[in-house]
Amino acid sequence: MMRFANLTPAGKSKPRHRRNPHLLTPNLRTLGPGSVASVLKIALDVAYVVMILVTGLLLLLWAASIFIPLDNLNVTVSDGADGREMPLSRPLLLFGLGALTAYFGGFLLILRYLRKIFRTLTLGDPFQPDNVRRLRQIGLILAVVTGGVWIVQGLVASRLAPGVMEPQGISDLLTPVFSVLVVFVLAEVFREGARLRRESELTI
Amino acid sequence: MAIRVQLDRILAQRRMSLTELADRVGVTVANLSILKTGKARAVRFTTLDALCRELDCQPGDLLAHEPGPPDAVDDED
Repeated sequence: MMRFANLTPAGKSKPRHRRNPHLLTPNLRTLGPGSVASVLKIALDVAYVVMILVTGLLLLLWAASIFIPLDNLNVTVSDGADGREMPLSRPLLLFGLGALTAYFGGFLLILRYLRKIFRTLTLGDPFQPDNVRRLRQIGLILAVVTGGVWIVQGLVASRLAPGVMEPQGISDLLTPVFSVLVVFVLAEVFREGARLRRESELTI
Repeated sequence: MAIRVQLDRILAQRRMSLTELADRVGVTVANLSILKTGKARAVRFTTLDALCRELDCQPGDLLAHEPGPPDAVDDED
């Protein structure tokens, strides 16, 4: 009887979404001990835990700042050597802590998505539509967080400490815009990868 | 899909089951079902060769073209 080496052995019905055997070996090698991927995984896990702690602490501080008395408390706004001291009002404190919490919360979300993407990599199937969606969300969060920082710094420079802090320029947006672009390009690459994987699955 | 795989008809003519064909050709029943139900996006020449050999037919007997709108290339279901 004729047998074909590149076809699945006869009589052994396997699920349709089985992993491509050609993809398995490189992935395992990528994730071996001491590989870049394993170091990345540890870094992601550590950063995620640290970010949870920092965001949680900031949230608690933000909630506590609603009640703590602020009499005779001052805040110094400075951009290097010179600084301006001003009374710390409750709206200012809430705004400052809220902005910091949102900043770290944004990065916490990004890390959460990155870990999910990484999990699909360890399973040997990173090119899937879910990862395209995650990468786009990471790009959006990155845009909101970095854009928010730019706006808040501009507000502080123009309203709270005019003359003390340098106003934000468009050039300060170059790096964030570049990062967001990189993420969106990666998302498109993943979209094409997911399409090719789907086609490969449906090639008999 | 405008290309239809007429596996059902040929299997009936040969009085052969899908499982038997899968066993002879060396393709899983699941993959043959994808082919039979028209969900496949492409067929390897090696698969086509094996099917034609076991079914004793020509590729033209297996495939038929039905005019209709072309499928979207990048649909992800």
